[in-house]
Parts: sequence; C-alpha cells; structure tokens
Amino acid sequence: MNMIRLGAVSRREIQRFLRIPIQTLVSPWISATLYILVFGVIVGSRISFLEGIDYIDFVFPGILMLQLVNGAIGQSSSSLYFQRWTHTIDEMLASPLSYAEMIFGYIIGAVTRALAVGAGIYLIALLFTDATPAHVFLFLFYLLVISIIFSLLGLLVGLWAEKFEHLTVLQSFIITPLIYVGGVFNSIDMLPESMQFVARLNPFFYMVDGLRYAMIGYSESPLLLGGIGLLAVALILFAAVWTLFHKGWKLRS
Amino acid sequence: MNALEIKGLTKKYDNTVAVDDLSITIKRGEFVGLLGKNGAGKSTTIKCITGIAQFQQGEISVMGFDVQKDYQAARDAIGLSPQEFNADIFAPIEKVLDFVGGYFGMNKAEREARIEELLERFGLTDHKGKPFGKLSGGLKRRLILARALMHNPDVLILDEPTAGIDVEQRHALWEYLIDLHKAGKTIILTSHYLEEVERLCSRVIVIDEGKKIADLTKDQFTKGGNSLEKTYLELTRV
Repeated sequence: MNMIRLGAVSRREIQRFLRIPIQTLVSPWISATLYILVFGVIVGSRISFLEGIDYIDFVFPGILMLQLVNGAIGQSSSSLYFQRWTHTIDEMLASPLSYAEMIFGYIIGAVTRALAVGAGIYLIALLFTDATPAHVFLFLFYLLVISIIFSLLGLLVGLWAEKFEHLTVLQSFIITPLIYVGGVFNSIDMLPESMQFVARLNPFFYMVDGLRYAMIGYSESPLLLGGIGLLAVALILFAAVWTLFHKGWKLRS
Repeated sequence: MNALEIKGLTKKYDNTVAVDDLSITIKRGEFVGLLGKNGAGKSTTIKCITGIAQFQQGEISVMGFDVQKDYQAARDAIGLSPQEFNADIFAPIEKVLDFVGGYFGMNKAEREARIEELLERFGLTDHKGKPFGKLSGGLKRRLILARALMHNPDVLILDEPTAGIDVEQRHALWEYLIDLHKAGKTIILTSHYLEEVERLCSRVIVIDEGKKIADLTKDQFTKGGNSLEKTYLELTRV
C-alpha cells in the first residue's frame, strides 16, 4: 500500500464532502437534533421505559447510528456513481493506483464524513443529556465498524446504480426500515415473543444494541457474537468490493 | 525496448467488434499519428492500452510492462489526454493536478513544483482556484493536457488534444509537443486535423473498422507530392 497514493484518494474524498457542508454535515446535525428533541426530550420525558435509564439515553445510540449510516453510505455511493457517470473514474483507472488503495481511499473518505457527522451529533446531545460513553473503546469500535460496513455497502451501490435514483433504493427500502425496527426506539422485550425472534435476525439490531451497550451499558444481545459478526460482515463486504473492482465490473468498459 | 507493443488485440462490446486482431509496435522516442474515422477503434485501442477498457484477446506492453500483469508499472509510464473533459467539475484546477500527481505517487513538494510549472506552461496560472467546470472549452483542454504531463511520463497518448483550442494555443501546443519529443518522449497522437499530424508525426498508422489498414512513414504517405489528407482519404474511402 503506497501512502501517497492512498492519501490522494482519501484527500479527494474528504474535500468532496467538505465542499458541500450544508448537505453533508449541517443537514444530518439538524435532523438528529429534531430526533433528540422530539423523541428524546419532548416524548421521552413522558415515557417511563426502563428502570434507571432515561428514554433519551436509550434512543440516542440509534439516532447516532442512523446518521452514521446515512453519512457513510451516502458518501461512498454518490462519489463512486458520480465518478462513473462523468467518467472521472478514468483518472484513477489509468493511474498506478492498486484496487486496495482505491477502496481504502473511499472508505477513509466515507468514515471521516460519518465520524464528522457523529461528532457533531454527540456534541448536540451533550446539551440534553450526559452522553458519556460507558465503554469508550467499545464505543469507538462500533462507530468505526458501522461506518466501514456502510461505506463498503455504499461502494456496492455506487457500482450497481445505473441512474441517480438507484442511489437511494438500498437506503430507503432496506436500510432505514431495518434500522427503525432494529430496536432504535424500543426494547425488543416489548415485542410479542414471535416478533422478538424476527427482530433478532435483523443485523441492524446488533449494531444498535452494541452501540447502546458501549454508551449506556445496557444490552439485549450477545455482544461478543454481535461484534465478531460485524467484523465478519466488514471483511466479506471488502472481499466483494475488491473482487468487483478487480474484475472492473461497471468500471472498465 | 519498444515503448508500445500491441499483439493481436481484439476488443468487443457485446457482439460488436471494436478492435480486431490489431498489432502495433512503436519504438521509444517515436512520434506516431493514429488516424481513422469516428468509430474506427482508435479511442478503444487507447482505452485498452491505458486500462480504462478490458479486452478479450491479445497482449499489450508499455515500456516492457504488460498492461494486465504489471499494470501499475505500465500505467506509471503513460500520460493520457483523453477526448472527454473527464475531470471533477467542482474541483479547483490545481487540485485536479494535485490529486492525479498523488495517484502517481508524487510527494507534496514534487506536486507543488510541477503544478506551478504546468499552470505557467499552459497559461492557466490566472485561473488558479477556479473549479474545472467553470473553465472555457479551450482552457479545459489545456488542463487535461497538463494533467497528462503531471507525472512526467515516458509515453504520452493524446486523443484529439487540440480539439476546441484556438489557433494561437494550437501552435503553442505544437511547439511544446515538438520540445517534448526532442526531450525523448514517445508520443501517440490521434487527431482529425490532418495538417497537425503531418506537421508533427514521423509515422502514421491508419485504423479502419478495428483493423490496421496502413502503417507508413510520413514520407511514404506524402510520396509523389500528395498531401497526407489525400492519401488518407484514398485509404479510408469505401
């Protein structure tokens, strides 16, 4: 891995989202503030939910994750698709960049955007609650792994998409619904027993639950299994993206 | 060592054969014109050489490096100026060069020095800070050329490099290309301006329907007082 080449791709990706900060940073901060205000403060103050845990503290990890996911997947999918559409991808294809350097460059850009979004949301949350993570390293682990997984998924979408509206298909029809039913707003213990089994099949549940444990020390899933599962997903996605880049699928004519 | 060696290249798009069993050898330091009608297979051949397109059959090597097995070394040797303005329209022009310099492994000091030199050489210094998309067509063409030269490649591939450039800039570019050639660069040029090819190239290859139909020195092309254009039209006339 050549660090100069990797640095060039990463800088390009980071500068790309910094050129449009209202769309890439301010908008998710406002959106998260509304979630925190409505679900956390206004509605949450009337909910006696779990003993010893304020509702705002329960929902905040899910709200944070939702915006992390949107930031990571939005960055890598739109960047790659736009480069394919305008043929600026040819700049990279005709250069000595290795496939790993290209992919890691996109990942670094997407993770940076997701973490910048997350950092802003975290600071906003501090205005309403004491959001000090219970397990700092675990908190950072989940932030990173979740951002990496969705930046890789974004690259798959960016390769697959044939028109702009395809970029939102995965987010609108699969990811957002699964996150919402993945225990962001409720404990899965509140679901009927048959639904609890289904909820546990939802991979997003393990992300929300892991992040929640890292923040408030409350969990409803086997954390080690969830963490290993997330790492495995990240590795499988990386292998898939690398294979497609190597084959030149929808990249090289 | 040859600068470029293509053996039996065949490239198909679905069932359409774009390049058909093409073989070309270009020695180091040659200035070669690659001519053909629109859709003849020139740009596809260039895309196969540079890694932008995949091909079904054949072998290509650049400066002795196979473009598939040793793709990084092969691409390191090539500077490509494509027909399309394929740079990030929102990026300031110096950033376009900076990123590409980085892709080729140039460190920060090397990039900064080279960017200043190229912006000056192509009359783009006053446009520093402007997004690529805000440049006029002629200025965009100049930046695309500067980008091809950023890493000081051994082999320059110029696909219609003077399209959209005014007469003064075209002449200035010709002089620059002559200087680069004298400095030892291998240059492959496609152009629809045949007087440009006649003026610059010492050898001309004509491609038609993906096949090589002529590979002659400029003197052979212009034998008997014919213009290059006249011979070219005779060759490509159906």
